[in-house]
Amino acid sequence: MCPAFGAVRNLLRMEDAMPIVISSGDGCLYGHTFVAHFYVANRPIYSPGVSSEIWAKGSAFDELRSMVYDMAEKHAPSLIPICSLCVSDTVGLPFDLLPKQIGNTEIVYVPLPAYSVHTHARAKDIVVDSLVWRLPPQRKARSGVNLIGEIFPSDPVKIDDVLRRVGTHVNTHVPGPRWEDYVAMVDGAVNAPLHPFYSESVKRMKMKQGLPFVEGAPVGIAGTYSWITSLAEPLNLDPKVVEQVAREERDRVIDVMQSRRLDGLTIMVAGYEGHEFLLVRLLLEAGANVPFLSTAVNANPLAREEEAWLREHGCQVLYTANFADEIAALSDRPFDCVIGTTPLCAHAKELGIPSIYYTNAIATRSMMFAEGAADVLSLVGQTVGAKKRYDRIARFFADDESKLERTYTSWAPKLDLTSELIAHQAL
Amino acid sequence: MPQIRENIQQSELVSDVVNTPIPKRVTDLDHAGGDTGAMQAFASLRDANVVLDGPVGCHVMPAVAVINYTDSVPYLQNVTCSELSETEVTLAGTLGALKIKVAEATAQGRQVFIVSTPVSELIGAAWTTEHQDVKGSALFFDSHSLDDDEWKSRDRALLFLWENRDHFARPADAPARKPKTRPSVNIIGPTYGNFNSYSDLHELKRLVAGIGAEINLVYPFEAASYDTPHLADADATIVMYQEYGKSLAREVGLPTFFAPIGLEATTAFLHELGDALGLAAEAKAFIALEKKTTLAAWQDIWRSTHSDFFANAPIAIVAPPTYKDGLTYYLGEELGLPISFSAYRTGPESSPSTAVRAALTDASPSPMLVFGSINERMIIAQEKLPSRFLQCSFPGAVVRRATGTPFVGYAGAVWLLQCVCETLFDVLFANLPTSAAPPVKATTTTREIMGEGQASAAESGKGKNSVLAWTDDAKALAEKTLKRVPFFVRVSVNKKLRAEAEALAREHGTDVTEAIVQEITSRYSPR
Repeated sequence: MCPAFGAVRNLLRMEDAMPIVISSGDGCLYGHTFVAHFYVANRPIYSPGVSSEIWAKGSAFDELRSMVYDMAEKHAPSLIPICSLCVSDTVGLPFDLLPKQIGNTEIVYVPLPAYSVHTHARAKDIVVDSLVWRLPPQRKARSGVNLIGEIFPSDPVKIDDVLRRVGTHVNTHVPGPRWEDYVAMVDGAVNAPLHPFYSESVKRMKMKQGLPFVEGAPVGIAGTYSWITSLAEPLNLDPKVVEQVAREERDRVIDVMQSRRLDGLTIMVAGYEGHEFLLVRLLLEAGANVPFLSTAVNANPLAREEEAWLREHGCQVLYTANFADEIAALSDRPFDCVIGTTPLCAHAKELGIPSIYYTNAIATRSMMFAEGAADVLSLVGQTVGAKKRYDRIARFFADDESKLERTYTSWAPKLDLTSELIAHQAL
Repeated sequence: MPQIRENIQQSELVSDVVNTPIPKRVTDLDHAGGDTGAMQAFASLRDANVVLDGPVGCHVMPAVAVINYTDSVPYLQNVTCSELSETEVTLAGTLGALKIKVAEATAQGRQVFIVSTPVSELIGAAWTTEHQDVKGSALFFDSHSLDDDEWKSRDRALLFLWENRDHFARPADAPARKPKTRPSVNIIGPTYGNFNSYSDLHELKRLVAGIGAEINLVYPFEAASYDTPHLADADATIVMYQEYGKSLAREVGLPTFFAPIGLEATTAFLHELGDALGLAAEAKAFIALEKKTTLAAWQDIWRSTHSDFFANAPIAIVAPPTYKDGLTYYLGEELGLPISFSAYRTGPESSPSTAVRAALTDASPSPMLVFGSINERMIIAQEKLPSRFLQCSFPGAVVRRATGTPFVGYAGAVWLLQCVCETLFDVLFANLPTSAAPPVKATTTTREIMGEGQASAAESGKGKNSVLAWTDDAKALAEKTLKRVPFFVRVSVNKKLRAEAEALAREHGTDVTEAIVQEITSRYSPR
């Protein structure tokens, strides 16, 4: 999917925002609209029309401006994000000339040229960063934790339960459904980027607002323990209480893992969402062998610690994933399971390897604490358990046309009904 | 536009005329652009490799994400991308990045097509090398991605293939073409990303075989680039869709036919195709046989009570020209379903989504069935219309790979008829007047009921069997709501509305007010 869609998706999910998508052309806008209506929202997607003439004249900006005014006046949303994709960002529309506010509506420029954004993860970081830039300075009296990252809807509640036991709480969670979720960030005492790619956002908030941040997420045995304990210092919590709660939560994870071991299994993980680091943690701790993690995320400061942990446990991290390498790796060793992108899973299934699409199967689940670990590990166990079915189907299709590449033309039944009809004396 | 012609006028060519105008503002764009259309046409060739000259998004969006929901193909393996980054866009230009990708694909023995994207067009990138005259070398196609819609681009791409027909190299190990024993036809279309084309193609092949002709080429979908000159070997050409392929058919110069939708059109098509191929007697025999086989279902449904509903079941159609015209004639003229409105999804007369929204919400009664894309589906949901949705075009995720759902030909006529009837049954079920299972419990004896009823029947709303008064506003709103409901279920809906509104009014101890009717109607949010 286009890297920029990572951002468009999150903005479209905001109930009080009306994003304007300035596409590069109809091919671009069609793609974004199509997948948005499938993955995100039953809601209209607005854009100024663009053509070579419009770009040459520069009239797109005038139309954009009047659209912004019309939308603000008619619907008065909290936020009108202006998603500027490749061409508009290359042409350089004078976004500075747009009003910052109209009535109660904030107008925020979100730069998303896919050729420099590269990944979904980066696009998500850009959204938080662009919106946070608009916030007033951090309040003097601060408390609680700002959670940053797309997590399962019930995760913030679970985290809040745990945090209250150590004497703090969840202040807000972004990306959230409303602008006020972002505005609330000024009240928080610490940022917790739960996925290792919100580096620009947290860096900016540290520099501009002096807000510290903690790395990692409460996922897996070691992850749960170290995430909880890492909050003690920046929030001035009672270290004894924190230590006790961290141990309790860690032991709960250990408990559920005992009955969901993946010992002896070799698993390939390739993702572009950015939380694949956390998944691999769970798999490794459950005893699986994950020789490498291929991730679309760029090497960035937040990922460093995660990477070190994974490397220590026998997993290489390959940044800016290369699809050809992933495919080639499929035949490197006997994988028992592949968790990856659609194309990779398609190849793996062809070889009879049980596979699931990361975004649809993993990104829709919680990975946190004991419940999350139990859920994800059960899913992987269930997938691996279906090996026989994958094998049967792979063998069936390998028999007749093993050498042809899999495009429609090679699959299509070559029917010659004429001879059949003649044989049945129909002609 | 008639379905069958031997000549295509210059003025009708897609590449000259049909292109969706670009409005100042777009809401829910419903067609792809030139780069996508060209990619879908070239990638359909067996030996092609398309290199999209653009950033990674221009590749993964159409060839990985969208294709998985239009064609159920995990991703197009023969499409790659120059993956432009800041360096290429701001400084280097795209040539260096392109050369690598072209070399990779050429090394695999593929015919490379380089397709421009908005970014490469913006920075003025093109592809010229000293090898351009070498047979089988990479070809550059300017997709006019900023200005042309997907249909015009497909049409131009197919014409481009014909113009370059002598450029393509036939590999030494390519299987020899089978000698033909019977008259043969080309089928031009489909390409990837074309709604329902797998079934339509299947049905067309069946019709062609049925009259005793052979398929020369299904182009580009089941052909290789080096087959292109052999388009001339056929005796006639069938263009599957009006939206593209006409320019190619015109240049190939054979008698040309359009895929027919409906009984009349299919019959005429078979006769005329038979005449053109010298198979008139076979065509006649095939039609006779079809009446006893494929169309027996059609005749049976037509003779059943099912068709009695048609005259009171208004429908709406929003689709690209082939389906819009075809369905409008078949369902409207042949079957007699009133056409509430129909609109083109593409081309100079296309209706933007705001106009479609207005037409759908203003229609009274609301169309019972709406043939459209996800845009219409969203409008139905957002406006809480009672209409049922049937997908007949993209966008909108769908799986249409089984070959039993054609719109064209006799099988298509039967399939559409079946769809309409089944959906009408569905509407009927949703509006059945009674769903009391288990039955309402008796709380008093018959004698007691009689006593209560008598008490104050004269005073509105007081006794159990006194009639409740409706305010004028309430009546007007109920009337308006009912008018939206398709005629044949109006009696059920009326009964339901009245019962529920009066029950609520009794609960509140008031007359039936507008607010009460409003509350009842808002409970029903149709699918």
